[in-house]
Amino acid sequence: MQSTTSRFGGSAFRNLNLRRYWLDNVRRSWLQTIWLLILLLVTIWFAIGQLQEHFASTIIIFVVWAASVIWTAVSDVRRSHRPMTLWLKTNLYGSLSNVVLSLLLALILAFIIIGFFDWAVVRASFSTNPTVSKIQLERKSVDGKEGAAWGAVIDNFRNLMVFRWPTDQDWRLFAILLWNVILLIPSLYVFRKEVFRRSRIRRVLTTLWILTPFVVFFLLRGFKSDGLFGFLAGPIPYLNPDIAWGGLLLTLIIAVFAIVASFPLGLLLALGRRSKITGIPAWLTYGALGLIALYFFVTRSIPALAEAQTTGAQLIALWPLLLLLIAYLFQRYYQGNVVALASTVYIEVIRGVPLITVLFMSIILFPILLPPGTEILSTWRVMVAAALFAAAYLAENVRGGLQSLNKGQYEAADAVGLNTYKKYRLIVLPQALRAVIPAIVGQFISLFKDTTLVAIVGLIELLGVANLISAQPDWLGVRRAPYVFIAVIYFVGSALMAWYSRRLERRMGVGER
Amino acid sequence: MTVTLPATDYSKIISCHNVNKWYGDFHVLKGIDLEVSSGEVIVILGPSGSGKSTFIRCINRLEEHQEGDIIVDGITLSHDVRNIAEIRREVGMVFQQFNLFPHLTVMENVTLAPIHVRKWSREHAEEVAMKWLTRVGIPEQAQKYPGQLSGGQQQRVAIARTLAMEPKILLFDEPTSALDPEMIKEVLDVMRDLAHEGYTILAVTHEMGFARTVADRVIFMDGGVIVEENEPLPFFNDPQHERTKLFLSQILNH
Amino acid sequence: MAESKLTPNPSGGQESVPPWRDIRIIGIFAQIAFVVLVIMGAMWLLGNVTDNLGRLGGFRCPDGTSSFSCGYNFLKVDSQFDISESVIDYDPSDTYGRALLVGLMNTIKVGVLGIIFATILGVLAGIARLSDNWLVSKATGWYIDLMRNTPLLLQLFFIYFGVILLFPPIRDAIQLGDLPVYLSQRGINMPGPVFLPSFATWLAFVVAGIILAFVIWILLGRREERVGKASNRAFWVVFGFFTVSIIGWFVASNSNKLDQSFMIAKSERILAFTDLADNMERRLGAANLNEIDLMVEEGELTSEEVDEAAYTLCVISESASEVNFTAELRRLNIPYTVNRSTRPDQATAKYAAGECEIYVADTVILTGERPLLEDPFAQAIVPTLERPVRISIPEIEGLNFVGGIKISPNFAALLIGLVLFTGAYIAEIVRAGIQSVSKGQSEAARALGLSESQRLRLVVLPQAMRVIIPPLTSQYLNLVKNSSLAIAVGYPDLFAVAFTTLNQSGQAIQVFLMVMAAYLTLSLSISALLNWYNKRIALVER
Ligand SMILES: Nc1ncnc2c1ncn2[C@@H]1O[C@H](COP(=O)(O)OP(=O)(O)OP(=O)(O)O)[C@@H](O)[C@H]1O
Ligand SMILES: [Mg+2]
Repeated sequence: MQSTTSRFGGSAFRNLNLRRYWLDNVRRSWLQTIWLLILLLVTIWFAIGQLQEHFASTIIIFVVWAASVIWTAVSDVRRSHRPMTLWLKTNLYGSLSNVVLSLLLALILAFIIIGFFDWAVVRASFSTNPTVSKIQLERKSVDGKEGAAWGAVIDNFRNLMVFRWPTDQDWRLFAILLWNVILLIPSLYVFRKEVFRRSRIRRVLTTLWILTPFVVFFLLRGFKSDGLFGFLAGPIPYLNPDIAWGGLLLTLIIAVFAIVASFPLGLLLALGRRSKITGIPAWLTYGALGLIALYFFVTRSIPALAEAQTTGAQLIALWPLLLLLIAYLFQRYYQGNVVALASTVYIEVIRGVPLITVLFMSIILFPILLPPGTEILSTWRVMVAAALFAAAYLAENVRGGLQSLNKGQYEAADAVGLNTYKKYRLIVLPQALRAVIPAIVGQFISLFKDTTLVAIVGLIELLGVANLISAQPDWLGVRRAPYVFIAVIYFVGSALMAWYSRRLERRMGVGER
Repeated sequence: MTVTLPATDYSKIISCHNVNKWYGDFHVLKGIDLEVSSGEVIVILGPSGSGKSTFIRCINRLEEHQEGDIIVDGITLSHDVRNIAEIRREVGMVFQQFNLFPHLTVMENVTLAPIHVRKWSREHAEEVAMKWLTRVGIPEQAQKYPGQLSGGQQQRVAIARTLAMEPKILLFDEPTSALDPEMIKEVLDVMRDLAHEGYTILAVTHEMGFARTVADRVIFMDGGVIVEENEPLPFFNDPQHERTKLFLSQILNH
Repeated sequence: MAESKLTPNPSGGQESVPPWRDIRIIGIFAQIAFVVLVIMGAMWLLGNVTDNLGRLGGFRCPDGTSSFSCGYNFLKVDSQFDISESVIDYDPSDTYGRALLVGLMNTIKVGVLGIIFATILGVLAGIARLSDNWLVSKATGWYIDLMRNTPLLLQLFFIYFGVILLFPPIRDAIQLGDLPVYLSQRGINMPGPVFLPSFATWLAFVVAGIILAFVIWILLGRREERVGKASNRAFWVVFGFFTVSIIGWFVASNSNKLDQSFMIAKSERILAFTDLADNMERRLGAANLNEIDLMVEEGELTSEEVDEAAYTLCVISESASEVNFTAELRRLNIPYTVNRSTRPDQATAKYAAGECEIYVADTVILTGERPLLEDPFAQAIVPTLERPVRISIPEIEGLNFVGGIKISPNFAALLIGLVLFTGAYIAEIVRAGIQSVSKGQSEAARALGLSESQRLRLVVLPQAMRVIIPPLTSQYLNLVKNSSLAIAVGYPDLFAVAFTTLNQSGQAIQVFLMVMAAYLTLSLSISALLNWYNKRIALVER
């Protein structure tokens, strides 16, 4: 980063070779020439448009751009770069097209930022009084373009956070927060330090963490007076989740529940898909499916064949023969291992269909699939569906972790005499799961975002509340401000988690080597 | 549960009869016969791909043989889960790539099996582990992770881990091939001590010095069969088979 | 024989292992227990389903009995609901089966377009992310972060409710620059091609051109190998293709001369299309029609006079004939006004009533309609020049746009949302793919003296592709699956139509099974296609 002085000395402009520059930057290939031309035209067109819209800012950008280009060019020609000009040269003005491109992009960014700023601040109204807000927005609007009605967000802040959660029960939410924070702070220290391995404090913390979901659940739902813990119904009364849970609270509940609850199933699916249990022997497979095929052939195919008029119908009538094909494929690709087959089918089917179908299925099909008269709250249904969905993806992540494990680890565990259960619990899973923590965090992020889908099936989570705001008589049709607000929530949440996951990955990468 | 045992010489701690194994259509072991007495040290030699590893891995059932009998310490290797568990308790194995558990400390690596398989108390297991770590010369490394040790040290931890289970039989699969020359000696010294202590040892190794001085018997395998077996002196000085001669000349002259 | 090797007799059969300790038998029993459990679970569910449906009345056969095999009979029943947009013909009197097919086609439509545009956007953004221009790279990074860290559904809602539906009504439609692209509440209107009957002929030429280009490419390649000298392959390929296509254009224009025509009273003495121009010159007293504007400016003509003289055309709405004819009129700068009817008989009636002087339609329609006129022999049918493809430009007429391509706000929101969202993910994949090709490879290529484009084409891309394709496949799958969010913005995709079907017919299980099967099929076909491609490029590697 030091200034380089001319290698040849003498006149500063000896290095100036315009012909070379022209050849390198404009005429190297016809593609380059056309690209440059288009770029120039677009830039000029855009600059003129901007000049009419935002005169001052455009002029400032232009002047700054021109000055820095000239400064860089002069420094370059004189071969006496300062850190600043060197940076400009390598990052912004490296070639003629980059010079133009930088201007164009600066203009576009200014356009976007100014536009957003105008909308979010200059033309916006922060009044929570709908009438005042309406008047303010109208007065500040330019060319009929109104700013953000932040009042709608402020007015509905509680709705966005917890929706219909009763105010007098707020202490329960704070209790949950407190519980987690109190556990988290020592955990950050204890779980990282080698000294605490196998210490009592670590064991206590682990137990408390395992208890956390139950504590949280009961604080959220409360106790029914006729239930097992009826005596607790006084201080912590029952709240119907379909009504009391909503907003950001519901988003978090569903996302956390799905990832936690999907864990056991996902683990089993991953292990199942990789399992090498002795399969059902070929003779049994062929025998059983053959008999079934024969049965259906006699009872279904023969009558159908007699009735069939077209060749197509005849072919369809022969469907029992497909069972034999299935038996063959099953033996050929799964060696009779039903567990592996079932896990694979589950994983691939769930991953092959959209989440929304699974959610709707939970809403519409659960009642049909369960014994008549069973009533289940839609919140539970959706949560179960989300967990079942997440399990398939989690299984694939875990499977990746299992695959990344060296075969020698399995063999060493066998050789020292561990049984299968202990082999997995002590050797395989601790390593495999640690390897997939970043992937699981990634999955949690997408689950966190996918929770918005429950708005479509009628649960009022964050996005659902935002949609409701626009239907309130006070804030009829106000949509952009609430959307932007929840976008910020999601953005910050996801970006933080992604950042943490990257850090984790790096730290683990360092630990391994 | 009593198991009817075939008529075998009970002084033999390992006996193999006509052991055959296939990988798909590939015939790896073609009728191996071998008797090993208690306390014997056997070195197995052979060109790459001859089935040495496969054979000794069959002895602790890391691989399944498909025909023939393998009887280890009076227990027949079969599909019986209980037998498999028992044999793994009696037979320890040291791998070429160490295969230490990277997420556990050295001490935990060594005490893992005693605690979970032998059901010892942690204190007792750690006491024994420390004894073995001292024996292999690295007591001070007990709280480190395998990743923080040198190759030779890692292999010695692996040996300590195996010994902590107090096995009767030790299997070594090229324990020194992944090591730098100066580390090889550390490991060979430990192995030599163990041999003198009366462990039954089956080792696949290309350390000719070890084979000459420590082995009671040398076995030469090629193409899945035992081509020649003899005591070290006659084996090295007067090989009977052409294949053995060729192999030895290649190994010794390089 | 092979069988006995894999599962041989245990250990010579000398000792017997009690079955409950034999690892293989334990395994088999575990498997069978698992199968039994699964079957019992399925039976339980099936039992519940029959109980529940017994009450709700599903699986009813025409003869009153109830059987699973009758479960799909409802597909042949009239749907009685409308679908706002459709690739194939559809109306409420069509069956549920057809409605679902319409939904599937709509899903495929948004899927295919989405994949194409998302790929283009993603590749551009991925390259931009690696740009040596700091601003470009940063700005792309912000875009990617914004898309990846906010939910797709929120983005869709924002685009649909927060942007498109807040566009002005049609009469104040926003025009993009000076381009004939209009944004309004009703969606996007933009120019689009209209295919005339002769398009088929031209298409044949274009295909021939492509084949010729291939042949030239291969032949010249062989020659290059033989002679050992580079020839200008790319040029000859492009030249060959364009020559054939251009020839085809004229052949097609002239071969289908009789397809398009217009009807006009014989008294006007118009025998060919060009006579229209002469006639107009006479009417306006202008020497050259190109000077009309000038004359109006200079006061020699008033615009009322021009309007008066303009030809009035009777046309059938959304017909190719109109686009073809008016394009030709515009080319010759002949003033005209258009009077649209939905059906030929209405247009005929208007023409007969004297509401217009020229009746524009396919020759077939005109010859069919002429005898219906009072005085058929007073009418001349004059053939018009036809081009295989005309560009139709949207114009506001009253409260609607006429011509061009209409993109519904629902479709636009969904497509834009999917493309922006998936594009960001693809950008990351492309960036990672390009970065995965080690710097050494580029340096080696430069050291061998390859040009920049050769380096990219021959060294970097083939290697990056192998890294890119697998995650790209899953992004394509995600795009297709995410298209099911259409239901949130009111686009009638497969899932939305299925949902309506389900609500109306009550056949929940069958509809869900069909929808899942359809998505699985789509997913599997995409993976199969890309796996095949991946194998191919992997083979090239060897
Ligand atoms: N899991 C397996 N599947 C198929 N073939 C295998 C498998 N493991 C080993 N083989 C084959 O069996 C043969 C014997 O392998 P083995 O590992 O026993 O050889 P080795 O004598 O130990 O050789 P080296 O000295 O290289 O370790 C080799 O040809 C090998 O390719
Ligand atoms: Mg080996």
